[in-house]
Amino acid sequence: MTISATDILLLQTALWRCRNGKLPGAVCRYLQSMKDRPKGNTPLESVRMVVFDTETTGFDVKSDGVISIGAVAITGLSINVADSFEVLVRQDRVGRSEAVAVHGLLKKDIAGGAGELEAAEAFLEYIGSSILVAQHASFDVGMLNRILSETFRIRLFNGVVDTASLAKRLEKGPYYNLAHKVGEYRLDHLCQRYGIRLYDRHTAAGDAYLTAQLLQRLLAKGRTAGITTAGRLLMQ
Amino acid sequence: MPSNTIVERVAADLAKYPPFDKLAAEVLGELASSVSVSYHEEGELLFRKDDPLKGAAFMVMKGAVKLYDRIDGEEVLVDMYDEGDVFGVRAIFGGDGYLLYAQVAEESLIYDIPVEKIKALIAADAGVSMFFAGEFAKSVQEIERTLSSAFSLRRQGPTGPSCSSFLEHETLEVKPVVNVVTCPEDISVREAAVIMAECNIGSILVVSPEGHPRGIITDTDLRKKVVAVSGPVNERPVRDIMSSPVYTITGGKTVADMVMLMVKTKLRHFCITLDGTIDSPVRGIISEHDIITSEGNNPAVIMKEIMAADDVEQFKAERDKAENLLGTYMGQNVAVHFMTSIITEINDAIITRAIRTTIAALQAEGRPLPSVPFSWLSLGSEGRKEQLLRTDQDNALLYADPAGHEREAVREFFLELARRVTGMLEGAGFVRCPAEVMASNPKWCLPLSEWKSCFRRWIETPEPKAVMHSTIFFDFRPVYGDASLAGELKRDVFDSIARGRGFLEFFAKNALQNPPPLGFFRNFMVEKSRDHANEFDIKSRAMMPLADAARVLSYQLRIPEYFSTVERFQRIGELEPALSGLSLEAAAAYEFLMKLRALNGLEHSSSGRYIKPESLNKLDRQMLRNVFTTIGEIQQTLNLRFQLDYIRD
Repeated sequence: MTISATDILLLQTALWRCRNGKLPGAVCRYLQSMKDRPKGNTPLESVRMVVFDTETTGFDVKSDGVISIGAVAITGLSINVADSFEVLVRQDRVGRSEAVAVHGLLKKDIAGGAGELEAAEAFLEYIGSSILVAQHASFDVGMLNRILSETFRIRLFNGVVDTASLAKRLEKGPYYNLAHKVGEYRLDHLCQRYGIRLYDRHTAAGDAYLTAQLLQRLLAKGRTAGITTAGRLLMQ
Repeated sequence: MPSNTIVERVAADLAKYPPFDKLAAEVLGELASSVSVSYHEEGELLFRKDDPLKGAAFMVMKGAVKLYDRIDGEEVLVDMYDEGDVFGVRAIFGGDGYLLYAQVAEESLIYDIPVEKIKALIAADAGVSMFFAGEFAKSVQEIERTLSSAFSLRRQGPTGPSCSSFLEHETLEVKPVVNVVTCPEDISVREAAVIMAECNIGSILVVSPEGHPRGIITDTDLRKKVVAVSGPVNERPVRDIMSSPVYTITGGKTVADMVMLMVKTKLRHFCITLDGTIDSPVRGIISEHDIITSEGNNPAVIMKEIMAADDVEQFKAERDKAENLLGTYMGQNVAVHFMTSIITEINDAIITRAIRTTIAALQAEGRPLPSVPFSWLSLGSEGRKEQLLRTDQDNALLYADPAGHEREAVREFFLELARRVTGMLEGAGFVRCPAEVMASNPKWCLPLSEWKSCFRRWIETPEPKAVMHSTIFFDFRPVYGDASLAGELKRDVFDSIARGRGFLEFFAKNALQNPPPLGFFRNFMVEKSRDHANEFDIKSRAMMPLADAARVLSYQLRIPEYFSTVERFQRIGELEPALSGLSLEAAAAYEFLMKLRALNGLEHSSSGRYIKPESLNKLDRQMLRNVFTTIGEIQQTLNLRFQLDYIRD
């Protein structure tokens, strides 16, 4: 599996800072695990995928914050309930944004959560070198990268799959312009289309669980289209 | 720490279906967090025959899975599983590998539940252990033990709420009278009578100096043994006239227990002692009156009314009451064999009363009862004491051979008696047998010698009609009159069967006519033949195969009692240790089926024979699956025992 030159440079620098004791242990273990990233020819049955979702105070990656992260792992193509993750993040930026109403989280809930830094560390420890999967992944990954870069001057080095793009790719082929019909590839619509019962919408863990079920169906569909290895899956 | 939100979600899914629907929240949560969720497309094979067992059993959350076998290259469907069904449980109970293929029939979401977790639950939760096949018989044994011990032992403390729907008990407890009036053995009868009059009580308990019950004196004793007897009895000590010993029991008895005890012992007073024996201090007393007043709609009351009734309208009214009572008992999860005992007692009482009334009426018309003894026989399910709801009449009349010149007159008398009695029974709501298997039919109102030759004919020439008749007639049970006639007839049947080899093989072959269905899938019954019926005939598809098998084995083993199917299986298990496990399962299966049928019948005011699969809940379906397996095994046993594969049709 390929990794960009920038990433290699960032990774090298970060590992050098680890050797000098400049980064927390959890972050360093995460960085070191990158050498175990799945190979391009690793069959999907042997790959651990972490399906996750974040709730945020808004939709601006620069100014909004993460309120919670929910995730569940898929191993051997099965959702492993025991291997799931959920964290609430204490967030000062909360309160004005419309997202608060959407998520139904109250200020006091969030005040009781973990600090952004702790939450990020716990999440890194949980994901390791797994392939990350999220619905409209670029937003969630962007949010987390902003935190990681502010706090540790690193970013996520994992392979990332966006379920919306994967669905589009499987349904319409690689050249369909997603931008024109955004609605068709929203999580609700995809769930409906693939016969997944909707519940717990708008909690990070609930959405992650739905997205994981969606991924299972997409992977089953993808198998017939030859998507059987980590490399094939990440080739978007 | 796994995500609470996701664990709760999975827990909520699991809790929708048995056996996980009655688990406590923490237990459920722990189970849910061990689940993994897999998605499978149509056609996918989940496991193959002889594959090593996996570490999980599977619950279908969405979609459908079929289990099949391959025999001579051909696919043989074994069962279909849909939402909420659990399959692959073989992994729980062990073995070398899977016995079947599991293939996804419709795209499916499946919860894989680790075997270790289920094993732990089976060990800890009665409801869960009941649920799984293989554990079926063991748990039923448990029920049997509790019930049979109810008469002699104190109940073993309360059982958990999770298995309340399985344990069959009458919840109403009879409250004994605890301030029992007693007297010593040596006071005079007169003194005792004075105490009874002063306390305004109908009985007084005679006790030893340590307070152990020695006997009882009731109003009846005073009437029969004192007042009606000449000479000065008044001054004699009470020990001379008391009824002794007293029937002693432990406390905590329910109405069901007590009514059964009354029916069995024909006694009217029961003394409660500390340990239930006569050598322990008195704790209270329960009289017939206490039992009757503890519940308005009571079998004992109905029995009394019947024995006092002399017209059809009253019979019908009392039998209707009995049916209401049945409804109440069903709601309270009373044991089926208790209910059938009660209903049998009531039906027998109606028959007895109808016969007595008719004999009296004939007498009044100048047609006295002939001097030869006779016996009224109930046949079929009534003969097996298995009627809950009113079904067709099946009866016959047997009388001792009269002297040659009286033959015709006696036959004419008993035919007239039978015509009137069956007419009365019809009026009481027992429909006439469409095949005219009734004592009023001259073919089935015969002297002993003719019955013997009739039965011998069937046994010697087991053509289909003879075998069919045997299945009804060989369940005969004497209800009224001279039971020794019936006993002699039964012995003759045993002897004829022993002489005429071959009959039992045909009898057994007949019991295998109906293989059980496989199970249920949504609103269909799943059949080996693949014709999925949307109605389940519980009588012909599940009850008859078991009743037939029990009858065959009873006649082979010469079991002389007039037993029900359940009792037959219990005895078969005692006589043949190799069959004890299977017989017990069969007995339990039969009880379950009787109850299911009665519930269905009460609900639809019908005979309950036809059940719509959609009316069955998941638990019933799972129980039925187990029952069908048991029936299959019983039929296999008959097949091997009588080597039926070698018999040509």
